[in-house]
Amino acid sequence: MRELLYDIVHVTDYDYRSAVSVSHHFLRLEPRETPRQRCIAHEFRILPEPSILNPHGDYFGNRAHFVAVERPHSTLTITSRARVAVTPAFVPDISETPAWESVRARCRVDCTRATLEALEHSHASPLVPTSPAFADYASVSFRRSRPIIDALSDLMGRLQSDFRFDPSATTVSTSLEEFFQQRRGVCQDFAHFLIACLRSIGLPARYVSGYLETDPPPGMEKLRGVDASHAWVSLYCPGIGWIDADPTNNCFPSLRHISIGWGRDYADISPVRGVLVGGTDQILKVSVDVTAFGSTPDSDGN
Amino acid sequence: MTDAFPGFPVFRRRSLPGSTADPLVHDECLEGSGRPRPHWRGLLESLGRLGTAELSARRDEGNRIIREHGITYNVYGDPKGSDRPWDLDLVPLVLPAAEWRTLERGLIQRSRLLNLVLSDLYVGTQRLLLDGFVPPELIYSNPGFLRPCRGIPCAREAPLHLAAVDLVRSPAGQWLAFADRTSSPSGTGYAHENRTVLSRILPDELTDAGVRRLGPFFNTQRSMLESLAPRGGDNPGIVLLTPGPLNATYFEHAYLARHLGIPLVEGADLTVRNERVCLKTLDGLQPVDVILRRIDDGFCDPLELRAESVLGIPGLVQAARSGNVTVANALGSSLIESPAFLAFLGPLCRHLLSEDPILPSVTTWWCGVASDLRHVLDRLDDLVIKPAFGRRRGQIWFGHLLDSSERSRLRELLRARPREFIAQECMSPSSGPIWSPDGFDRRSVLLRTFVATNGSSFSVMPGGLTRVAASAEDPLVSMQRGAGSKDTWVLSSPEDSEDVGPRTTFQASVDRRLLGLPSRAADCLFWLGRYTERLEQRLRILRCVLGLVADQNQTGSVSQLSDLNLLVQNLGILPPEDGEDSEDAGDPNLTERILDWIYGSAAPGSIQDLMGRIRHNASAVRDRFSGDTWRILGRLAPGSSDPPVRQSIAHALGMIQDLILNLAAFNGLEMENMTRGPGWRFLDSGRRLERGTAVVGLVTATAFIPGPSDVLLGLLLEIADSVMTHRRRYFSSARWPDVLEILIREVSNPRSLAFQLAALRNHLDALAGELGVGIDDRWVVLIEGLQTRIGAADFDQITPCPDASCPEALVGLMETCSQGLAGLSDDLNNRYFSHTLPRIS
Repeated sequence: MRELLYDIVHVTDYDYRSAVSVSHHFLRLEPRETPRQRCIAHEFRILPEPSILNPHGDYFGNRAHFVAVERPHSTLTITSRARVAVTPAFVPDISETPAWESVRARCRVDCTRATLEALEHSHASPLVPTSPAFADYASVSFRRSRPIIDALSDLMGRLQSDFRFDPSATTVSTSLEEFFQQRRGVCQDFAHFLIACLRSIGLPARYVSGYLETDPPPGMEKLRGVDASHAWVSLYCPGIGWIDADPTNNCFPSLRHISIGWGRDYADISPVRGVLVGGTDQILKVSVDVTAFGSTPDSDGN
Repeated sequence: MTDAFPGFPVFRRRSLPGSTADPLVHDECLEGSGRPRPHWRGLLESLGRLGTAELSARRDEGNRIIREHGITYNVYGDPKGSDRPWDLDLVPLVLPAAEWRTLERGLIQRSRLLNLVLSDLYVGTQRLLLDGFVPPELIYSNPGFLRPCRGIPCAREAPLHLAAVDLVRSPAGQWLAFADRTSSPSGTGYAHENRTVLSRILPDELTDAGVRRLGPFFNTQRSMLESLAPRGGDNPGIVLLTPGPLNATYFEHAYLARHLGIPLVEGADLTVRNERVCLKTLDGLQPVDVILRRIDDGFCDPLELRAESVLGIPGLVQAARSGNVTVANALGSSLIESPAFLAFLGPLCRHLLSEDPILPSVTTWWCGVASDLRHVLDRLDDLVIKPAFGRRRGQIWFGHLLDSSERSRLRELLRARPREFIAQECMSPSSGPIWSPDGFDRRSVLLRTFVATNGSSFSVMPGGLTRVAASAEDPLVSMQRGAGSKDTWVLSSPEDSEDVGPRTTFQASVDRRLLGLPSRAADCLFWLGRYTERLEQRLRILRCVLGLVADQNQTGSVSQLSDLNLLVQNLGILPPEDGEDSEDAGDPNLTERILDWIYGSAAPGSIQDLMGRIRHNASAVRDRFSGDTWRILGRLAPGSSDPPVRQSIAHALGMIQDLILNLAAFNGLEMENMTRGPGWRFLDSGRRLERGTAVVGLVTATAFIPGPSDVLLGLLLEIADSVMTHRRRYFSSARWPDVLEILIREVSNPRSLAFQLAALRNHLDALAGELGVGIDDRWVVLIEGLQTRIGAADFDQITPCPDASCPEALVGLMETCSQGLAGLSDDLNNRYFSHTLPRIS
């Protein structure tokens, strides 16, 4: 199958007002392998040179790196470069997907690794509460016996008209209830909200962190959320697997979305998390550049 | 905030039958016929022989020991402040040998089981979820499941090094477990301290009964900790990690650290370098192999666990993941102390161990299981409803006490959020005798037991911590609600003979050679030295001034009062007086201002403030002081004596006198009892710096008073405790040059500046040897420079003659000395304690 190739450069730049004596960071920046994505190459360049840069797989199977800089420093620059190959997503025929209630029931009957993973994402998590209010919002779309992807598609359509994309409306500390009230926010809020709706009616949904292609192909519209890392949602459907859905852009991700990894919510998969010893204020700058540079030869010969 | 000792709801009928023999309550002590049970008879007869007056005296003695040992339990939000004295009943809970053997087997079985379950969920393949023995939701919706800790290798497959199991005895007389404490269980230290107190107030009874000793349990625990070190090896570095003095059970942390012979450290004392945990000590970073933690696991690492934690160590999870440190209990262990697990332990025991539970749990239903929820809704009247993941204190409902609207609200809540609740069979705990001067009474009792393991062997503490309800009516036995405690006597049988005895001789080697002195501890000791000395100096000044004021009120000599007023002003110890300038003769307000300052003020440098600082610094290094020393320090606490109804000079002088004597006692004990290691040297260096600074300040303040009277100079000698030295040398009244000779230059006077400089020089040399690094040349140059200046000074020449208005030469010399000492203090801070917070000097 034909693969699209992308080069990703993600730079995180900290400027500390006073010197930090030791810093420890946890990075979730290396794109993971998925059924439709290969990470061909990945490298970090970190300045100042860290004393430790150790990879390990985290709880959700994402590629995480532990970084320690153990001497005084007043800036820290983390550059993550990746080359990724993406194949189109399989989007099932909407009307062929099972009724959403049967998905909920199936996840609670059989005990396989796959359903365990689904159950893991069926509950409230630190940043995504569940509540009757979210369930009520979802229920308008999730009518009785409706095919699950049909219902999801309808719910995303309503989100698109009820909520506005507005980078100035929320901060990292805005709660989901506040977002629900003011109806403005960024991709993280959209994703968390959709997850809350799905989990509140008992469906398994997870949070995906990743990138969008920066410049659209000729003739296509630029997507929202290209300037930094992006976030969307994945819904589990027994027999089909995890199906990605991007509520910010009201679409099912395919060739223009590149995943880094996933978790229950942003807290599980935040790209950079750190603790400093010493230091006071910090200025953070992030830049992301995702360039398409062609495709691999069609291996099927079509 | 978690409750170290979870409460147990006591079932009571709405109409209490008045009879004493309640068939719904097991009586620990009496049989149905009213006769004492056999294992209680000896003790009861003996207590009966002692009689009320003697028992009263023994109880008072017990309370005195508790106060003196400083046994406390901090009650959160208590307006009386922290450190509530521990409440211990005179009568122990007595358990017969045969009953205990069964309990012991049950506890070991439970520890094996809990270890297996935790290992499967965190390290293994989670078969228990796939096979349906643990509902996945119980894990996935549980805040105690710490996902970053999944996959951390577990030393010797024993994530639960120490488990506490809370027991209640059913009306049928069977012990049942109602809670497991698996994160960082409290109580072993309190249990041991209870025994220590009872061995002093009921020594004969303890011996006669043949009670099993507790000491061996701690020795075993210590060696188990060593065997948990990741790479085996000799002399692993072991520390006890505490959240600090504000924690409810800080007393116990310090107590255990001292008794297990391991350093007591806070998160800030540890750092992760190269994926290894290290202790910051005076001689650099020392590797730590085993952490016995008393911080809740979620707070242990702000990098991967709760980001807001200021108690933890960034990188700790990674160090554990890399197999470089063992944390006991393992990070994530709090998962299994969720009450909801109680509903599944029975089947798990049969599945994993192929055994029936020897020690069953109180019957528990988790509403997260649909059939359980139905059962609970049907039988609400007979049940008590509790939070399922209730590590925090949460609401508890007694089904039978609810009216119909409350009941339907509860049903609604259970249906809406079933996973968050459990239900348990309602039950009255057994009752045991307690003693008060009004006689014997009975109270509900609960027993906390302890089992330690290193994977291959298990050890149960023969005894435990018995808790008693605060009152006969209290529906909840909870420490945070003022419940008391009891010693627990497990009677021996012939095969236990080797660990029976009246004394808890405790043989842990107090061995600090493995890990050096933490920098934070050195810092605290240094400032403890400074603040105790500063307090003493202030008190001496106030005592002299108040004494003189009292005299002069009788003789009415005005000129001396005016000198005095100037001295007090120059010393700057009182806050500046607002309003008019009253420099003229004998400030009539002086007495009042001094009294106000003594009793009321909490301003920086006031007596209350200094006592608070002393307490703060002493608490942080509590594990380094003997019991006696700690007792003396306890008497220096602010508010340790009640304020008088009327402030008077006489009362103030009495109080000052007591404080000065207590300070002298502290100095004496610390000289006597502290090993002359770096810790003591920092303490004494602090004292020397402060004393040197004080004498310089005193001389400077006096130098500005024109033609000081010989009374004032006499006062100076008195403040500096040098009257006797002066009298021996000069048989006359005080002259300026002689006073300076004694206070500044006389090397043999322990109060002189020269003496302090020599002592400091000595400490710095010794520290250099002990810490294996040379001392800073600048310090040698500085101290020797001051010594030379003092040695060469011509005191006859530089003392101001009676008419001179400005004594520049003397003041200049004092200024040099004072700056030198301040510089030295700063240098010491920068060199040794630079990572700690700035202080007010």
